[in-house]
Amino acid sequence: MKIDCEFVERILTRFIREELTKFGYAKGILGLSGGLDSTVCAYLATKALGPGNVISLIMPYKDNFPQDVDDAREVARRLKLDCRVIDISPQVDAYFQKNPTDSPVLRGNKMARERMSVLYDFSAREKALILGTSNKSELLIGYGTIHGDMACAINPVGDLYKTQMRMLAEYLKIPKNILEKKPTAGLWPGQTDEEEIGITYEDLDKILYQLVDLQKSREEVVAAGTDGRTVDKILDRIRNSEFKRKMPPIAKLSARSVGHDFLYPYDRNK
Amino acid sequence: MRIALAQIAPRLGDVEKNLDLHLEYVGKAKKEKAGLLVFPELSLTGYTLKDLVQDVALDPRDSPVFRKLGAESRDLAIVVGFVEEKAEEKGLFYNSAAFLYKGNILHIHRKVFLPTFGMFEEGKFFAPGRNFNVFAGPLGRTGLLICRDFLQYGSSYVLHAGGAEIFLVVSAAPGRGISPEARFETSRMWELMGEAISYFSTAYVIYCNRVGFEDGKTFAGGSFIFNPRGELQARCPEIDPAWMVEDIHPGLVRDIRRKRTFKRDDRPEIILHSLERTVSRYED
Repeated sequence: MKIDCEFVERILTRFIREELTKFGYAKGILGLSGGLDSTVCAYLATKALGPGNVISLIMPYKDNFPQDVDDAREVARRLKLDCRVIDISPQVDAYFQKNPTDSPVLRGNKMARERMSVLYDFSAREKALILGTSNKSELLIGYGTIHGDMACAINPVGDLYKTQMRMLAEYLKIPKNILEKKPTAGLWPGQTDEEEIGITYEDLDKILYQLVDLQKSREEVVAAGTDGRTVDKILDRIRNSEFKRKMPPIAKLSARSVGHDFLYPYDRNK
Repeated sequence: MRIALAQIAPRLGDVEKNLDLHLEYVGKAKKEKAGLLVFPELSLTGYTLKDLVQDVALDPRDSPVFRKLGAESRDLAIVVGFVEEKAEEKGLFYNSAAFLYKGNILHIHRKVFLPTFGMFEEGKFFAPGRNFNVFAGPLGRTGLLICRDFLQYGSSYVLHAGGAEIFLVVSAAPGRGISPEARFETSRMWELMGEAISYFSTAYVIYCNRVGFEDGKTFAGGSFIFNPRGELQARCPEIDPAWMVEDIHPGLVRDIRRKRTFKRDDRPEIILHSLERTVSRYED
């Protein structure tokens, strides 16, 4: 799973630059959480577009993660990015006052979608294309909020496992404390990804790499030294999250239908 | 003979803009006094066309785009990739490459092997070509292949049996597989075949790949020339647009074939006979 970081950086910065140019954008925009993935994306975007062409939004809820907000500010400061802090508390609170819930997942998903909503609003205001930050590990097991943090215009890092993101992060020399902090979706305080998924990213990625990249069967992965229950749990997560990776099915009626046989490239005439 | 490879990133579905890009490179090639200029697969249209195939298709015998390119080919042979719809085969679209010289279309190759698996869906949108032919060009006996054709090694054998001294391979190959090496894993595959075919055919292999991104695919570049000794003569960088100008010496083919007798010792009639027997014994 080791990568040549310089080569990957070359591809991804060129990808960001070319996709923006094709669609007539000079600027990119992304949400900075203070975590590793969005930091790596900010570094790549800055290298691709220059600091003047990257807008970073920090979108805290109350003062839930003060350290992360500080870290995100530090990234923006180091990279000299246009940085705005937008507190999403008023709209989130207003909603839950009318529709209360104790479920941290529901509250977390709502917050992720508020951030998406703010990002798309700023994308239109600032004419800046949204860069996604979901990595391959998250996409495969569906560890993300659909129409929330998974929403974007282009995703430069969606084919890199979390462990490969860490290699790239080290290569890009992102701030050390971001490199070392425990990954969290930030849905509620104290949450960590690895605790919630029940496995470390190192172990998860090794299994995903065998299942997905090498197309090994469940039995082969078990024979290679992972216990069956863990493999099954991961296979279930992959199967049950297909809806997050696809456009929704459209009931086909006509001879030529969107999503079925009206087939055009995304980069049409670009 | 000086040849030039244009490792470009065409615009998807925009023939007019791509023609401008081609003419720009024609100018560069003429300035370098090149005798041959090679563009990648589907260079006039881009690769991931899907339903756009029918909008960008043209008949090279009756096309203003080809008239313009043809007019530029009086002193410069040009290899160009396009979607072909022949007047006598309306509604069939081929992934084709044309060899233009002295205002004429010297040869058209229609891609035979259309990759249709995983990320590839050419078989959904294109009709397959039916032939591999060697033709007499300004560089000697020449064979033209498109991308996947070259990876099915029978194609190269047919050209070898036909006496090809120059293998021209045009490609739109996306890079796949990252590793600790500073290149895509698939790049080795192309060079491996380039080296083997050039060595054992004692012929030049000239491979022109494209770059750029389409729908998230990265076209890998890495265009190259192997000489008839099987040696890498030159290589373009991966990913980045590039421009290569190299002198090749078709006389080298004779020189090598005197020492390495693969061509002399070849027995196409035995191969053909054996193939016929193999094919006739298929049970399904």
